[in-house]
Amino acid sequence: MSSEPRADDHGQHGPGSGDARAMLRAWILAKNDDLDAGALSDQTPLLTTRYLRSVHLPELILLLERVRGTPIDVEYLGAGDFRDIDTIVTGFITPAQNTEPAS
Amino acid sequence: MTAGCAAPGPAAEWEPLGLSWHPSGQSSLSGPLLALAGRLDRAFLLLAATLWGAREERHPASMPAGTLQRVDYLHSFPHQASFPVRLDPDEANLDAFRAGPVLGPDGDVRLTRLAPAREVLTPAACYHLYAGHEGTSLAGPLYLTTSNTCFRHEARYEPLRRQWSFTMREFVCMGSAPETEAFLAEGRSAVDLLLKRLDVAVEWSVATDPFFRPLQNPQYLMQRVQPSKHEAVYGGELAIGSANQHHDHFGAGFSITRDGGPASSACIAFGIERWLFALVRRHGTDPAAWPDPAGVAAQVTGVPAGEPA
Repeated sequence: MSSEPRADDHGQHGPGSGDARAMLRAWILAKNDDLDAGALSDQTPLLTTRYLRSVHLPELILLLERVRGTPIDVEYLGAGDFRDIDTIVTGFITPAQNTEPAS
Repeated sequence: MTAGCAAPGPAAEWEPLGLSWHPSGQSSLSGPLLALAGRLDRAFLLLAATLWGAREERHPASMPAGTLQRVDYLHSFPHQASFPVRLDPDEANLDAFRAGPVLGPDGDVRLTRLAPAREVLTPAACYHLYAGHEGTSLAGPLYLTTSNTCFRHEARYEPLRRQWSFTMREFVCMGSAPETEAFLAEGRSAVDLLLKRLDVAVEWSVATDPFFRPLQNPQYLMQRVQPSKHEAVYGGELAIGSANQHHDHFGAGFSITRDGGPASSACIAFGIERWLFALVRRHGTDPAAWPDPAGVAAQVTGVPAGEPA
């Protein structure tokens, strides 16, 4: 389990996924003052813990769109798409600039 | 009939059962249907009392718009909101109203100047409960039940199935997240058992609330990525009940706390008129063939239907 960006992330997760993970971690920590950085892994549930809340979603979607360089069609959002950092990166960053999440 | 208020379905067919349909999208009940509605509500009260010892509350027909806006209701559902309005009480304004035609040929009221609208007709029965317990620090789960006539403007109406005003009975739990999850699980199981004994088949399915411009609403997006609403659907298309996990939406909005943080809440809601529709569709138009929901609930709970639970 990795909670820090790694040099081999490019091979494992696709171009930029390590940077994306680091950026997402920083963004989530910034939204949750009481969340210790050591307690946030790439598999930490974000929704059930309420680290990610409805008020955060528009900003998160804009952030992801900026990173991937293409818009996200929110009409295709589905259950579990934002479950954890792994899910977000896999669904929205690494699938070669898709416009739909892998849900 | 006015445009948008067509009355397909049971309007005429069920008149002998006590259904009168109004072009405004509302129904009047009497006779067998009214009696069935009463027994149905008694069944829900029995469930709420025996499952959780829920305390019943009764609230007004409207609530302050400012209260509803604490949870952003008017931005989320402006298309469904109904506002009670009245004439500006200034005597000259009232004289001007009386001096006019008062009513137009289509029944539209020829209003003169209106007083500020500060209330919204109750859109869901449970809103009153969160507002009524504002500022409460909960030491344990709080179980409540309430019923109200609720108002939601719709593009079209159908007797019993989709109405501007309808009767909603709700069970509510405020507490910790695990307490509200347990409440939903218990409630759904009880409703399933009640429906099974009533021989009314439903499927529970994931749903979302009818937000205005949903794709622009963060709450709708959250419901998509973390489903929090499940509906009991009769006949493949009519939701007769719903189980809703609010997380801390109302706890935060109304400063209700549990364990030092915003309380979670959840509700289970029943549309009484839709239950009537499902029961009559299932068991036919002879009231003698209808099951007694209160009696069935008494069997389910072990509490006699005529006794306080």
